[in-house]
Amino acid sequence: MNVREWALVAFTILAQMSVGAFVVLGLVHAWAMQRYSPDKADQLSDRALLAIGPTLALGLLASLFHLGNPLFAYRAVFNLASSWLSREIALGSTFALLGALFAFLQWRKIGSFELRNVVALLAATVGLVLVYAMARVYMLPTQPAWNTWATPVSFFVTTFLLGTLAIGAAFVATYWWEWRGGRLQGSALAEMLRPVLRTLALAGIVLLGLEFVVAPLSVALMATGGAAASVGILTSQYGVMFALRLALVFLGAGVFGLWLYRTALRPGAETLLGRLAWTAFALVFVSEVLGRFLFYATHVKIGL
Amino acid sequence: MSRQLAFHVNAAVCTGCKACQVACKDKNNLEVGRLFRRVYDVDGGGWVERNGFMEPNVFAYSLSISCMHCQSPLCLEVCPTGATFKRADGIVMVNKDVCIGCRYCEWACPYGARQFNEATGQSSKCDFCADLLDKGEQPACVATCPQRALEIGELSELQAKYGATSQVYPLPEADLTQPSIVITPHPAMLLANANTARVAKPGEV
Repeated sequence: MNVREWALVAFTILAQMSVGAFVVLGLVHAWAMQRYSPDKADQLSDRALLAIGPTLALGLLASLFHLGNPLFAYRAVFNLASSWLSREIALGSTFALLGALFAFLQWRKIGSFELRNVVALLAATVGLVLVYAMARVYMLPTQPAWNTWATPVSFFVTTFLLGTLAIGAAFVATYWWEWRGGRLQGSALAEMLRPVLRTLALAGIVLLGLEFVVAPLSVALMATGGAAASVGILTSQYGVMFALRLALVFLGAGVFGLWLYRTALRPGAETLLGRLAWTAFALVFVSEVLGRFLFYATHVKIGL
Repeated sequence: MSRQLAFHVNAAVCTGCKACQVACKDKNNLEVGRLFRRVYDVDGGGWVERNGFMEPNVFAYSLSISCMHCQSPLCLEVCPTGATFKRADGIVMVNKDVCIGCRYCEWACPYGARQFNEATGQSSKCDFCADLLDKGEQPACVATCPQRALEIGELSELQAKYGATSQVYPLPEADLTQPSIVITPHPAMLLANANTARVAKPGEV
């Protein structure tokens, strides 16, 4: 691994986290609108929404570090006809533009609610297609460790797991911000925080279950799909890191997720709630970074 | 049918002297680390029992390869900028005005033909010595070979003359990219037991 490959770890993780956060935020927002009111839903999600853009921008910026000639990065979209890499960059840029447009409209409350809804749905759809395209980039016939359905599945699990916990952390941060400004009294936020965190924690636990199905399955697919060399590298050279990655995601989404869920069942303990949400997110984030590092560190090409 | 230039490699007469490799390095001014043409030394075998006696079946051969200028080049398919293109005569080339050095082609190519030029930050590869071809000369590797083991020509004509072998150890499955290469096999390539064949001195390629 070198700077160039770390750039790809940063890009794929941050871009997937952005897509996941955008989709999860949309779902929470829709729920809050139904349950409470559009105004209250806006109070909950507007700040979190503003955190997604910089995350994606950082990811796109990181991707430049993997190029020999970053100044001409725009040329990467010239071969949409046959290159998944071109499609990935085009979709990534489109998601960024649509997301930024939506965030701006939503923030300034420009346009009708229906119009903003359409823009948000469009952005979310492009984002999900982007995650699929990201997976397809690696599904080369000459890369048996990557060329399995485990690649898109694990990319989507990463997307939603990181998105879910990032949104949880963002809500807690919003809550803290409002509390510091003394605006919490009678605000919708105080009312919504606990049910939202409970749902997010539960979703995280379900996604963790999925991850624990996909991770061993992907190793099995590697072993049977002609990537025995990759399994060898993973289990010998990187065995400890692989175990650490699984332990961290279990600790984050599982142990801290359950703790977060139980704490959010009863009133009070706001400080603890915040710490739990952030710890769960941080642990899972580190685990996903390690997992993505292993993805790049263990692939072995067919041929010479 | 469109033209497709190809290399014929007569592995039966190749001695593994690596003059082609050195000529290529010289012609393309390649620093340590980049080798457009590489000679793979392969050996293997051991003892086998036959009629109650133990017999040796050791073997060794050399295989000189460069870019295969594939008929379905995966590097061209995945290149995001379109910098990789196929000339009318079938040569796979890189447009230096367009390549951004994403190195995606290196992940795709099963022949190790796509190599990164750190100095320019771009991909580089064997271009069949297109400049020499255009002057009516032979590629540096072909002109250098003391055994006359390398030859260029139209793929279909070379196949008619020498057969259609394009996949011997340690080359990957030809189906992947349909390489434009015709190999006259070394006798040991036909005997070589894939289980015991190995690339000797892998550090040299």
